[in-house]
Amino acid sequence: MSLTPAIRVRGLVKRFGQTTVLDGIDLDAGRGEVTCLIGPSGSGKSTLLRCIAFLEEATDGFIEIDGEPLGFAAGPSGERMRLPQSAIRPVRSRVGMVFQQFNLWPHMTALGNVSEALVIVRGMKRRDAEARAMAELEKVGLSGRASHYPSELSGGQQQRVAIARALALEPRIMLFDEPTSSLDPELTGEVLNVMRDLAKTGMTMLVVTHEIGFAASVGAKIVFLDHGKLLVQGTPGEVFGKPRHPRIEQFLDTYLDRGAATLL
Amino acid sequence: MISWKLFSLLVYAAQWTVLYSAISISIGFVMSAGICSATLSRNRALAFAGKLYVSFFRGVPLLVQLLLIYYLLPGVGLDVPSHVAAIAGMALCTSAYQAEILRGGFASVPRGLVEAAEMSGFSRLAIFRRIRMPIAVKLTMPALISEAIMMLKSSSLISVVGVVELTRMAQNLAASTYKPMEIYTAAGFVYLVINLVLVALGYGLEKKLRWGRI
Amino acid sequence: MSFDLDLVLSFGPQILTALAITIALWVAGSGLGLVLGFFIAVARRYGGKPVDTLLMLPVELIRGTPFLVQIFLLYYGGPYVGLSLDKTVAGLLGLTVYGAAYYSELWRAGFDAIPKGHLEAADCVGLDRSQTMRRIILPEMTMLVLPSMVNMTILMLKETAILSIISVPELTLVVSAIGTEYYAFVESFTILALLYWGLVELCGAAGRHAERRLSKYRFSVS
Ligand SMILES: Nc1ncnc2c1ncn2[C@@H]1O[C@H](COP(=O)(O)OP(=O)(O)OP(=O)(O)O)[C@@H](O)[C@H]1O
Ligand SMILES: [Mg+2]
Repeated sequence: MSLTPAIRVRGLVKRFGQTTVLDGIDLDAGRGEVTCLIGPSGSGKSTLLRCIAFLEEATDGFIEIDGEPLGFAAGPSGERMRLPQSAIRPVRSRVGMVFQQFNLWPHMTALGNVSEALVIVRGMKRRDAEARAMAELEKVGLSGRASHYPSELSGGQQQRVAIARALALEPRIMLFDEPTSSLDPELTGEVLNVMRDLAKTGMTMLVVTHEIGFAASVGAKIVFLDHGKLLVQGTPGEVFGKPRHPRIEQFLDTYLDRGAATLL
Repeated sequence: MISWKLFSLLVYAAQWTVLYSAISISIGFVMSAGICSATLSRNRALAFAGKLYVSFFRGVPLLVQLLLIYYLLPGVGLDVPSHVAAIAGMALCTSAYQAEILRGGFASVPRGLVEAAEMSGFSRLAIFRRIRMPIAVKLTMPALISEAIMMLKSSSLISVVGVVELTRMAQNLAASTYKPMEIYTAAGFVYLVINLVLVALGYGLEKKLRWGRI
Repeated sequence: MSFDLDLVLSFGPQILTALAITIALWVAGSGLGLVLGFFIAVARRYGGKPVDTLLMLPVELIRGTPFLVQIFLLYYGGPYVGLSLDKTVAGLLGLTVYGAAYYSELWRAGFDAIPKGHLEAADCVGLDRSQTMRRIILPEMTMLVLPSMVNMTILMLKETAILSIISVPELTLVVSAIGTEYYAFVESFTILALLYWGLVELCGAAGRHAERRLSKYRFSVS
């Protein structure tokens, strides 16, 4: 078992114009582990995730997926070199992403959403792709909704389809950006359950979430981001256990009602 | 009132109106996809050319465009029948309008849908063909239908370059029967009916796309 | 095929006169259409169901038929019902009525787009109907409908070219007559196209400028 982490981030900087959103992030996400990213709004959680998904190009620093550089690599004298598109694609294809807004394609059924990339990208026959997609929908408990369009599904169901869509491509790493934030509380549970099951299968997951309960119970590692800096990281016990870092104390107070915070 | 015989002549001529409009609108749609992708292109020159095209053909009255084509083509040695020139003129014009409509549609395709496709490994072309294009068309369906209706009405102008269609037939009949009031009213009625059919078709088409809101 | 610009330019004064007529028809037709359209919209909105239905008919008839057919009906059909008009007058009347039908729909869309809450708020602070109209509805609506109004006004300019078909001595008629007479098609139609194109772009730029100026009234409509 090699010790290279599934995700390795070094000195990551992201600026939008003048504003520095990520300010030198170093982060390792262990293979087969769930890493939870928490932090106040605007602290740069989404931006970090989007850099790892290569939806956003970092201004400086390096990202490695399974030990392979993503987008940029250090040249012979340590300078930062952009890799050719052909080198980016295979690394990127190991990463799946689930968005806060689901982002299901509205003109395709649930089955279409899951099978499309298998046909278009993997070159599978439509029929085989649909069989695979059906199996993925089964896993998230939605095989009965395969022929529904996104507009005919509840938010929780849409998010589960989105998870199935990402999983169909057999990623090594799954990124979740607040997957339950736009869901009603009663729908949050069904999505979190799917994610719990996924974690049990040994999937490497990086999850941005405000569901502190989920983070504490499923996360192997909690990472607290504040103003673009990685402030605290450690096991749930280390991060949430008392005595807490004052910023975490403040975060828990502001973002959760006091009652829930003291339960932890 | 005009006789059934006259009215049936108008209805007969209306088929040309429908045919010429349908051909121009279809050709225009195909062209508009190309023009729209040119305007959205990263290639500066291509984008500029696309914008210039849209600006010109939306900025000049269709009548002037038709006259331009009608008189210009023979000048450069292209001796095409007048109905071909008319279709070309209408297609050029409507392609610019449709391209502008599509551009708006593409701009309103939610970014997240494109990002989801990127994460699934779609190529740029696949994203365009499978995600952005169908959604943009769906979003712009009502505007495209009104453009089709607009074009159908504008097709009356090709009578000026000697193409026989509904308006030209009405003109001929009005001149020979001395009943312009009745004939033009009847012609207007026929246009109205065709438009209503188009509206109904558009409505049906929109309902058929089950995927609803975005 | 040579490009004899001098020939066309030698008709400069005639072309300028024709351009002035085109602009006059355009401005008058749009202005009158805009005002008439506003009254139609107000009548349909606040005049009760019968008025609404009564006015819907002509509006939809005009929007559903080609401008050219309307002009033919008015100019060639008119005399048969005792309405003999000079071609330019017929052209202006036709343009006005045509514009009014479209503008009225844009005004109506504007009325509908104003959030109910704003009117209720006006009611609460005790504004009467005409005050509400002048102080609340008009400014808000102007901002909302401006882009589509500018579009419609540009369309009106292009529709004036159609008046050449009933021989109104406007730009298209005069310039294409020069072209036909002297076999200078390329030159004349190029000039013609450029003149319209320039006017349209000018109008569009003015519209965008006005939009920026008015954007302080902007509010978001969900
Ligand atoms: N495309 C962009 N252009 C400019 N600024 C941006 C862009 N995207 C994000 N930002 C800024 O970067 C900062 C971090 O944003 P980010 O979305 O990463 O925060 P977050 O931690 O995910 O917050 P939230 O919990 O609200 O989702 C914010 O201040 C935001 O305004
Ligand atoms: Mg975020």
